[in-house]
Order: sequence, then C-alpha cells, then structure tokens
Amino acid sequence: MLVSKTKRSNLHNIDWALLVIVLSICVIGIINIYSAGYAFSAVEKQIPFYIKQIQWVLLGLMAMTIMYFIDYRFIVKGAYVIYGICVAFLLLVYFFGYTMHGSQRWLSLGVFAFQPSEPMKLALILFLARYFENHKSVKPYKLRELAVPLFFVLVPFTLILKQPDLGTALILILISASVIFFLGVNWKSFIIAFSGFLLSVPVVWHFLKDYQKERLIIFFNPERDPLGAGYHIIQSMIAVGSGGLFGKGFLSGTQTQLKFLPEQQTDFVFSVFAEEWGFIGGFILIVLLMILIFWCLKITLHARDLSGTVIAFGIVALFSWQIFINIGMVLGVLPVVGIPLPFLSYGGSAMISFMAAAGLLMNINARRFILHE
Amino acid sequence: MENRFTVLNAAETPEFRQKFKIVFAVLLIIFSLLLIRLWYLQVIKAQEMKERSESNSVRFRKIEALRGVITDRNGVVLADNLPSFDVVYMPSAAKEHERMLERLQIMYRRKNLQIDLNQQIPKDARPYLPVRLEKNVGMEKIAIVEANSVDLPGLFIDVFPVRLYPKGEITASLLGYTGEVCKDDLESGRADYALGDIAGKYGVEQVLDSYLRGRNGAELLEVNVHEKEIKNLGRIDPLPGYNVIMTIDAELQKAAWQGLAGKAGAIVALDPRDGAVLAMVSTPSFDPHLFNLGIAGAEWNKLINNPLSPMTNRVVSGQYPPGSTYKLIVAAAGLEEGIINPHTKFFCDGTFTMGSRTFRCWKKGGHGHVELHRALVESCDVYFYNVGRLLGPDKIAKYATLFGLGKASGIDFPNEKSGIVPSEQWKIARMKQPWLPGETISIAIGQGYNLLTPLQLANAYAAFSNGGTLWQPYLIQRIETIDHKPYKEFRPVKKGVLPLNKETFELLSSALWGVVNEEGGTGRAARVLQVDVCGKTGTSQVIGLPQDPRARRDKRILDIHKDHALFVAYAPAKNPEIVIAVVVENAGGGGAVAAPIARQILEAYFRKDEPKDEAAIMARRPREDIANP
Repeated sequence: MLVSKTKRSNLHNIDWALLVIVLSICVIGIINIYSAGYAFSAVEKQIPFYIKQIQWVLLGLMAMTIMYFIDYRFIVKGAYVIYGICVAFLLLVYFFGYTMHGSQRWLSLGVFAFQPSEPMKLALILFLARYFENHKSVKPYKLRELAVPLFFVLVPFTLILKQPDLGTALILILISASVIFFLGVNWKSFIIAFSGFLLSVPVVWHFLKDYQKERLIIFFNPERDPLGAGYHIIQSMIAVGSGGLFGKGFLSGTQTQLKFLPEQQTDFVFSVFAEEWGFIGGFILIVLLMILIFWCLKITLHARDLSGTVIAFGIVALFSWQIFINIGMVLGVLPVVGIPLPFLSYGGSAMISFMAAAGLLMNINARRFILHE
Repeated sequence: MENRFTVLNAAETPEFRQKFKIVFAVLLIIFSLLLIRLWYLQVIKAQEMKERSESNSVRFRKIEALRGVITDRNGVVLADNLPSFDVVYMPSAAKEHERMLERLQIMYRRKNLQIDLNQQIPKDARPYLPVRLEKNVGMEKIAIVEANSVDLPGLFIDVFPVRLYPKGEITASLLGYTGEVCKDDLESGRADYALGDIAGKYGVEQVLDSYLRGRNGAELLEVNVHEKEIKNLGRIDPLPGYNVIMTIDAELQKAAWQGLAGKAGAIVALDPRDGAVLAMVSTPSFDPHLFNLGIAGAEWNKLINNPLSPMTNRVVSGQYPPGSTYKLIVAAAGLEEGIINPHTKFFCDGTFTMGSRTFRCWKKGGHGHVELHRALVESCDVYFYNVGRLLGPDKIAKYATLFGLGKASGIDFPNEKSGIVPSEQWKIARMKQPWLPGETISIAIGQGYNLLTPLQLANAYAAFSNGGTLWQPYLIQRIETIDHKPYKEFRPVKKGVLPLNKETFELLSSALWGVVNEEGGTGRAARVLQVDVCGKTGTSQVIGLPQDPRARRDKRILDIHKDHALFVAYAPAKNPEIVIAVVVENAGGGGAVAAPIARQILEAYFRKDEPKDEAAIMARRPREDIANP
C-alpha cells in the first residue's frame, strides 16, 4: 500500500518549479563562469572552467535524481552512517589531503579532487534530522539535551577549521544553530550557550591562520591595506560598483577580464556578474535566489514529519547563509571567507552537494501526502 | 505524547506558523539588505567606482621568457636572443589614442626621426592590455618617450627579447623563424599560447617550440597615471626555454650555402654512420629577422608569392625526379634479382626502341658494348633501359622502397614530402590507368613518375655507403637546461636494412668510385685531394606539378626550364663519414654543375682537422649579457 502510493507520488509530485529555478541559476552560473575565464582562456592548458562546470551540473543532476527517488525517511535512517563516512573523509583529508592555496581541503580521487567539507554540510543536516526525530520534545530544548548534538557538530567543525577553512566551518555552526533555534531553545540555555560562544572566540582566534586574522582585521578597514589583504574586497567592490545600473556588458567587465578579481570563477562570481550585467542583472539574480529560498521554505512548511521539516529547514539555512555570506563578502559588507555561492560558483564538490540538497527537498515535497504509519 | 511531530509540524498550529513568519521576515530583511547594498554600490557609488576601475593602478605585466639558444654540434650559436626596446602603449578607458599617437609623431618629427609606428592602436584596444607600437627603437626614440612621459601618458618603453640568427639566411630555412602567435594557433588550442606570445613558426623553431619557449612570467605592478611603475607588488619569474644542440655543422652549412650562391636548389649532408644531418641548405632563403618586428604585409606577400618559394625547405619538401642517381638502385635490383651479372653486356648505339617509341642515351652515338661498371661510370642510359625492361616496374619499386624512397624519412622537421616510387599498382590506384611498358624504360633512368626529396636521395646513398643500414635522419642531438645539464638526448633510429649481397656492395661501390675517379666518369669534378670520393651524377628533366600528369605534360611542352642538376656523393670510399646530395634547379647537367659544389663541401669537411675559423672558436656567448627584461 505504502509502496504503491510512494511510486504514484513520485510520478505526480515532482516539484517542477524548484527544478526550473535551480537549473536557471545553474545556466546563469555557467554563462558567468564562461565570462570569468574568457580573457585568459588561451593561457589555461586545461579544459575551460565553464565546460567542467557543465559536467558538474550534469553530475549534480544525477545526484539530485538519486536523492529524489530514495525515500528520505530511508535516508534519515542511514543518517548516522552518512555522517560517519563524511567525518572519516575529513579525517582522510586531515592526514592525506593535498594543499591548494595554502589550505588542505582536497582529497584526490584519481581523476578529480574532492572536497569532503561540502557534503559534510548536508550530512550534518541529516544527522540533526535523525537526532531530533529520535529526541522529540514539546518543550524548548535545554542545553543539557543539546550537549550531544553540539558535540557532533563540533567534531567536523574542528576538522574543517583545522584545514583551515573558516568559512565552511562557520557555515556548519550557523546551520546547526538555525535548526536548533527553529526547533526551540530554552532562553536560559540560549544565554548560557551564547556566553560560551563569546568565551570560545579567543580559542577560535588562536586556531586561525595569520592570513585569516588579517582578513578579519582588514575587513573592518579595507582601505588600510589596499594592495595586500584588502585588495580582494576593494577590487570586488570596484568591479560591482563600476558595473553601474546596466553593466558593462557580457565579456566586457574590465575588472573581470583583466583579472583584477581574485578567485573570480569561484568565490567572486557574483562580482563578475554584477560588473557585466549591472544593477538590473544583480537585482534579478538576487531575486531569483530569494525565490529559491522561499520556495524551499514552502516545502519546509508542508513537510509531513519532523525529520522532513528539519532537513528542509536545514537546507534553507544552508542556502541562505551561503548566499548571504558570499554576496555580503563580494559587496564588502562581510569579511572575505571562501565559501561558494550555491549553483553559481565553480566547483564540483559544492555543485553536487547543492544539487543533492535540492533533490532531497523535492523528495520531501513529493512525499508530503504519504500517511505516516 | 503521541506524535509530537504533529504538534511541531501541523501547519495549523499558531506557534508553528509564528515561527515561519519570523523566518520569512528575517530572510526578507537579509535579502533586502543585500539589494540595498547592491543599489548603494551600483547606483549611488557607480560614478566613483567607474572612475576607480578606469584608473585602476594595478597592472599585470607579462615577462617574456627567454627562448632557448640553438647551437650546432660544435657549440656555434645559430639562434640567440637580443633585447629589443619597444614603445608600448597602455590604453586606458580614456580613449585618447589618436591624440597620443599624434603627439609622439610630432616629437619624432622635431628630431627628424622617421616615423615607423608599424601598428595603429586598434580601435577595440582593451583597456590595460598593452599594445606594442614600435619595435626595436633606437636610443633617440627611447629618450623621447622616457623624457616626455608626462606628456605621453600611457606610453612607455618595454624591453622584449627578440630572436637573433647569427647565420641569417644560411640557416633560415632550417631553423625557421619566430613571431607572434596568430589567431589560428590560439583557436586551435594545440598548445597553451596566449595572445601576444611568441611561437616558432617553421623549421626547428616550430618543431621544438615547446622546449624552446620556456614559460612566461608575470609582474604585479602599481603604476601612476603615466603608466610608470611606482611599486612592484609581486613577481613570478619566467622560466627560460631549453637549449637545443643540433647535429648541424655550421661550417659545412656555410660551405653548402656558398656552393648554392645565386642558384635555387638544395643541399643536404648526412653522417652515414648514424643519420645525423650535418648540413641542410635550401635556396633561395629569407631573412629570418624580418619577422621579429612584425613583417609588413607587402613584404610577406613578396615572400609568399615568390615563384622560387624561399619559404620552402627544398631538402625535405622539394620533390625532384632522381635522374641517373636512380641507376644505383636499378643496378642493385638487377644484380640481386639475377637479371644481370658484372659481365652482362648491352650494346648502346645511342638509341633504344620500344614499340613505336625511341629512347635516347645522353651520349650521341652511344657507348658501344658496355658492362655494368662502365654503364654506371659513364651513366649509359641504354644499358639501364635494357635492365629496366627486364626487371619491370614492380621489382624496381621493391628496391627503391628498400632504399627508403616513396615514404617520408621521418626526420624531425615539418612538411616532409614522401616522393613517389611508381609501380603498376601505384599507377592504377593513382591514375586509374594500366602501366605502359614504355614507362618502365623512363623509370629505369629515374625519369618517369619517380620523385624524391634531396634528403631521401642522400639517405638512400647513406644506407648503401655504410653497408646497408637505413637510418632515420635527425637534426637534434640533445636538449639541455639553461645551465647545460642534459635534459633529453636523441639516439639514432634504425629504419631498415638493405638486403644486398656483399658482392653487390663491392661491385657498385667500385663503380661509384669510378664515376668520380676514372677516366670518362661523369662526376670527375667532385674529386678532392684528401680522400677518395664516390658519387653519382644525375640530370633530371623539370617537372613542375608531379601529381597531375596533364599539368606535367603541359610543363614539358612549355619547356621554359632547364634540367635540374643532381649529384650525390660519399667519402671516404671506405668507412664513409659524410654523404652529400646536391640538387641545383634548372642549372643543367649534374656532372658539370652539381659535382663541383659537392667538391667544395667535401673540401670544407675534410679540412676540419685544421684550425677552424673564428666563428667556431667564438663558442657560446654567456647568457648573462642579454638584458633580462
């Protein structure tokens, strides 16, 4: 009975709207990456980034399909295993990973490099879904009840911070905090946790590499060091600002084409887009991302059980924080921490993880009518 | 307590809805903040940011890597680098390109300097991508640009390495030349070239480009409004290219060049012991430095449209009928196939009749009764008409193929042609016509459809002279790092073996000795004092377009060309060290024209134990004295 209903619901409840939104953002992303790599494309020996990004999107669609067809309640059952695998990968990175741009984030899988911290975000959301499914409570959670999940948040957090990848580590904390607050937290516990957080700041500061400390300092005063660490923020703001209302046109962004922008196909894709398409383009893109978030929120609202709600809300938090921090960074209102813009930044691990997340949302949406046993 | 999730999840629960409203509101605020910030930067601050982007004072400047040095086998430099001081313009978004050019021209005129800005600033010049206006300018112009930097914003002097070929034309068709990569190279994506990069365009420069070019570096500079450097913000050093040591002997190359002076032709000298190329000259040649400064359209057209095609290396790309030099192969085939023996005689009265056609011997009145030895020494055509008739085309083709004809030799050089070894099968495949008996007669004296390159000719004789080993000719001895550590060594490659009997070798080599040294020999002009020389002359009728028989006939009817003169020689007769093939186009008989040239080269070669001229002594220049840009 359940099986047949499941099948029916799969066929009839594909969330086409979500698929269309995600794919349009991906297409914009590919066009944008084409422009970001255009000027010096002849210099690069390897396959251009936009071609590879198309491959990542296709692989991502496969991940999305898989995550869509396996009943999410089954996935939740395996959440601890998935979490364990991801932590194991992070440990592998810690011991065997290779270093790029001064941080050890990558694991070589023969043909391509893989960044386990990206799927870790999704694994953590699944972990929390499973945990709170098992520990339901009508009353807001007290700190004592949250000690166990917080421990399991801190394990990957520490490993990723050690790489060092401040941005991704921060995202893990922000997602978990968002989910826990959404479920409800006892006020007293909140105050204690917050003081704990404040106390931990010096500890985290100690963990940070010099360049990260410098970035945080520079953030508050970028003009102090316009050619050192403040360079990124200033060049990005100049790129965005000089785009003006209508932009400089596709492939014509001087900041982009002259490579004033660092990491312009990964963390700074938005400034490439804003420079070439102007405020009009930037506005449309941000609104498109907003529609994506609200659509995901709608799915959260209609999820049929607690694990579905937690996963969906966790993904909303994941997307929102990544978008907010990335665009905030590009626009010079947040410090430079390297995290990708969902579906727009170049990168395989991130693209596949985000696509899998979208697949999970469609999964939850499709199964919202299934009666619970 | 049953189904707590329903408490949390039921959309109807006011508490749950409340939470959603909060989340919704928070997200709305966050996105609004982003949009407000975007509006602030792109609309309110747009003008300021535009100005800052236009006057962006940070530049990435490419540092051209020094190309590897090419030397001959004795360390004589064949290709090196020189610094060129170029006037460079850095376009800004200000779009006052024309005004800047005008000003510069006025300043030049005041000093009575010639204005050869060979490049207009392109209309679509991208801001901050430098344009090279004038290359290799003199001190006066450098002074003008440097002294007037305030009036010439965006103009500055940049140092750029250019290629210097000390031997100029002598090695041009061998080494090729360098120039800026063209659009096709960039779009083909063959190698990782960037716009404005220098690439090898022909010859060794092209073949070994990936070794020679090194890797460009870059500099991050802060500049003032006049594009003058204020501060160096960082630098990636360029990696110089690898040095290339060739098998060429510069002196021999020069001797060969002098031998062909004023004529169109090709000379190649090989070491028969391993296939190393000692000299490779093709005339007419060109000035390889023309391309350094960006060749003007008119000059390029002149080169390309020259009927003598100076841009073609005739040694590998020129295809000629072998003429009588082919007789060695026909003789070898006759002996091996048992058609003739050393004492087989044919009567030559100056003509040979086959059906209704009459073929002539080059010697009016004929040679009388001739055996193989005299037939080769005096190059009797009638003798070989008879041998050819008895052999048939396919047997001749079989031996020609064994001698390495009809297929590319595999030398490390571009555009090598493979020549033609005609056979019955070849003719049916190529022309859809059956073989005619008369064609065999022409082939027997190397005159029919046969075509070979001078390199193939030399290599075939090299294989014969060394006792039967067919080598793959090679030009590159080794590749070294800039500090002369070996990087790659090239070993001789054996391509095949001539399965000839010892008697055949002995008989034929004594005949080739006779060609040069005996009374009546056609190649007596090639005798030198120091050693015994063996050789064979050839005189071949001109064939312009070998692939197409009709065009070929037309050419013959026109007959505006004289015969090609061929001579191929090796020496010493025992354990030869050098094989030389000489082809002089439209010059007449091989014995009269080509053999004396071969003699000059042989003399130069066997003089080698004596002290060398200063070019050889002046070994490699240290690379430090080349300005590093």
